[in-house]
Amino acid sequence: MPKITINGKEVEVKEGTSIIEAMQQSGDRIAHYCWHPGLSVAGVCRLCMVEIEGNPRVQIACNTMATEGMKINNTSEKVRDAVKWGLDFHLINHPLDCPICDQAGECGLQDQYMEYGKYDPEMAEPKQKKHKVVDLGPTVVLDSERCILCSRCVRFTEEVSKTNELGLFNRGDRTEIGTHDGMPLNNKYSLNTVDICPVGALTSKDFRFRQRVWYLKDSETVCNGCSTGCNVKVYYNREGFFRVKPVYNEKVNGHWMCDEGREIYKFVNKDHRLLKAQVRNNTGWTEMHAGAAAKAASEVVKSTAADSLALVLTAQYTVEEFDAIVGTFVNEFKSKKVYFWINNKESFDEFDGLLLRGDKNPNTKGLLKVLEKHGISATWNELSQGLAAGSIKTVVVAGPENQAVFPDFADRVKELSKAQNLIWLQAGKNEALSALTGNVSLIPMKTFVEKDGTFINHAGLEQKFKKATVVVSEALTLTEAALLLAGKNLAINASPANEFMPMNQRIDQVEVEARKKNEFVFKRGSL
Amino acid sequence: MAEVKLLTEFYHLPEYQTLAGYKAKGGYAVLPTALKMQPQAIIDEVKASGLRGRGGAGFPTGMKWGFLPKNGEPRYLLCNADEGEPGTFKDRMMMERAPHQLIEGMIISAFAVGSHKGYIYVRGEYVYPIEVLNKAIKEAYDAGLLGKNILGSGFDFDLDVYRGAGAYICGEETGMISSLEGLKGQPKLKPPFPAVQGYLRKPTIVNNVETLAAVTYIIKDGAAAYRKHGTEKSAGTKLFSVSGNVMKPGNYEVPLGYPLMDLIMKECGGMKPGRKLKAIIPGGSSAPILTAEECAKANMDYESLAGLGSMLGSGAVIVMDDSQCMVDMLGVLTHFYAHESCGQCTPCREGTGWLDKILHSILEGRGRLQDIDLLIKVADNMKGKTICALSDAAALPVLSFVNKFRDEFEFYVREGRSKVKGTTYAENNH
Repeated sequence: MPKITINGKEVEVKEGTSIIEAMQQSGDRIAHYCWHPGLSVAGVCRLCMVEIEGNPRVQIACNTMATEGMKINNTSEKVRDAVKWGLDFHLINHPLDCPICDQAGECGLQDQYMEYGKYDPEMAEPKQKKHKVVDLGPTVVLDSERCILCSRCVRFTEEVSKTNELGLFNRGDRTEIGTHDGMPLNNKYSLNTVDICPVGALTSKDFRFRQRVWYLKDSETVCNGCSTGCNVKVYYNREGFFRVKPVYNEKVNGHWMCDEGREIYKFVNKDHRLLKAQVRNNTGWTEMHAGAAAKAASEVVKSTAADSLALVLTAQYTVEEFDAIVGTFVNEFKSKKVYFWINNKESFDEFDGLLLRGDKNPNTKGLLKVLEKHGISATWNELSQGLAAGSIKTVVVAGPENQAVFPDFADRVKELSKAQNLIWLQAGKNEALSALTGNVSLIPMKTFVEKDGTFINHAGLEQKFKKATVVVSEALTLTEAALLLAGKNLAINASPANEFMPMNQRIDQVEVEARKKNEFVFKRGSL
Repeated sequence: MAEVKLLTEFYHLPEYQTLAGYKAKGGYAVLPTALKMQPQAIIDEVKASGLRGRGGAGFPTGMKWGFLPKNGEPRYLLCNADEGEPGTFKDRMMMERAPHQLIEGMIISAFAVGSHKGYIYVRGEYVYPIEVLNKAIKEAYDAGLLGKNILGSGFDFDLDVYRGAGAYICGEETGMISSLEGLKGQPKLKPPFPAVQGYLRKPTIVNNVETLAAVTYIIKDGAAAYRKHGTEKSAGTKLFSVSGNVMKPGNYEVPLGYPLMDLIMKECGGMKPGRKLKAIIPGGSSAPILTAEECAKANMDYESLAGLGSMLGSGAVIVMDDSQCMVDMLGVLTHFYAHESCGQCTPCREGTGWLDKILHSILEGRGRLQDIDLLIKVADNMKGKTICALSDAAALPVLSFVNKFRDEFEFYVREGRSKVKGTTYAENNH
């Protein structure tokens, strides 16, 4: 374990650690663009300059290994001057379009300029013009002028997605990133290139121009798109959720996530949600408060004989919620007719070798664990037979939260509607449910970003996550629904108005108060 | 001193290009002996000869060979015949006039380093040398000098010519390897060095045409014979490509340490009538320029030129007389480097373009006096900051031209025309 000195501090690092990694470990700031811990070392931006004692020249930290006794500094005038010039070289052909650039507020170039720049530019020559708004594929747009040619995106397609769509074309200051002939950037992980682009060159078609990032708040959670359980950050404000980005977790997803997972914010937003409970009887639909609807449904459940009562679960809820509702059925209602609704059964075990799994549920393992704990062994066939024979009279269904990954949704609705009473706990709106006749209660549920809980991924890893915010204030968790269905009283606290998401304001209203608290001002101080 | 033709003695004979002609002058005579030697003995002999790489860097050849891992992994021998440095044309002559000398040198070198596959990477524009080489390689295969079990020695070696697509940076060894691998010709980070991880991530030795051709001589006549020529640290002879305002431009083989002015005045017939020597770039366009006064003190070896702040480089001697405008000349060189920068490292990609734009502003009459210092600042900050030496190659001429001929740059900025020619850039180019 080599011991080195960084800016006067002694640090012990693992054998084979590069200086830039050592500096990250020691908490020392170092300028860099092309280096990314999940990619090979390119050493092309030449910004991670350090001075090593005994070496007359400044060196790049990304391709220099830390060795015993090395004395490194990156705060000397020599290094600062080298970085300042490195930055100048990056900026001479870069457009100064921060006010309209999508990356403004989270741009590496802005950050480095604030750290090392703040000087009068010496470039008096016309800038090298490059292509703008280049459509790279279905998900990503390129602005070549802003590109600093760090090659992170190219290396990503070579080393991670292994799809090789991107390349560096031309030479000198005419060099541009582009796609190889007839090969659009179209892979299942393409949006990672946007995440790792340190400037505003690669932008997501889905996100660009929809929000200024300093009006967004973020919160870490676990992706519920499949059983991998990637660690992610969701970005939102009072207008809703706008994007999902990966968070590094060595054991789960490394630095990456799939494009499919980035869609999960959509079903969370109000436009797609069931905002009030809908209760239907012979006279038609009535709108109710969710709690009141659940309480009313408890009368139906309690009046149903135990062997005529069934619970259908999708593997999209938390371990805690499964435990609460299954426990209620087993202990309160004395029913062990609990069924696991498995979506896309045929492709359940598929895996693309990187992150994407065929099991499009975040918590299959968690559900199975709870079912086992409560001694549940009921099979779907039993339910089908019971429904067909009329022996199952009341069915409570939980989910799915993400309907997009349940291709058999309409068929299941049809099958389950054979029950006399159908109590459907559901986060999203659905036409098949709205079209139901008979005794149906649709009760709005919270989504994964609105509650605390645990998912167990395909490998058995338990991952706890915290509530980000509230989108539908009336919606219940499955735990709350279980208590209400059992006839218990429940005090549901009204969610405090979120500073970014007050429920009583127009969605296009931006408050001065919110602006004052945005990250941009917080981090940089007054400009 | 005069020309010493260790390598080029028979270059004037057209038949020397063929296998029969080469053999008639003793070619391939040493090969059977070499193939019976211990590989290490060949490496030792090359080390003892003091041979340094003739491509530009001047790294000791035997030492480079010694960096190969000893694990028996497959390794490659690559001949660097890209020859893209403006002013150099020596490798072209060697390939055209004596292709078998190179092939023989490669077989011996491959045997020494334990390689069974070699490539000659030739710049794309060298159509004729490629034809000649391909013909010679075929002759060598037909005669059992290449392929399986060469001359019954049990040693196998296959050799191919690879035609580059034409980029200056493919002459840099790692850029050449990238190009040979089918990638964009861009240099790679070192370490790992090619001797450890080169072509197809296998140990690889890259040597220049002239270096490999010299190996044949060293094994044939011995290290001591080679060392008789040159200086202590710069042993042997060197081919210099002389171009510019001299009476007889061409390739000249002289011992290292040969006085620069003798090369110009004796071998090349001196300056054009009525013209005076103004400056010389002694080692290819990337080498810092020497003024006439400095040329008088210069000997053509690594140490002497380094002592004068320049370098031997590839041995391309570019001679300028008093009719040459230095602003114009630097404009041409800078434009070349801006065009040829591979675009990988930021200081080079942006810096070469910036230098080019500043120089063209000056040439087109839009220059500012502060641009002259800006040229120095930009070049200074490009130096030693990139993966390969192209950035230095662009920066060093700028620094030396501006520092040594500053008055010409200032005049151009103030007057909008050349101090030497008296004309504007537009007038010069129409």
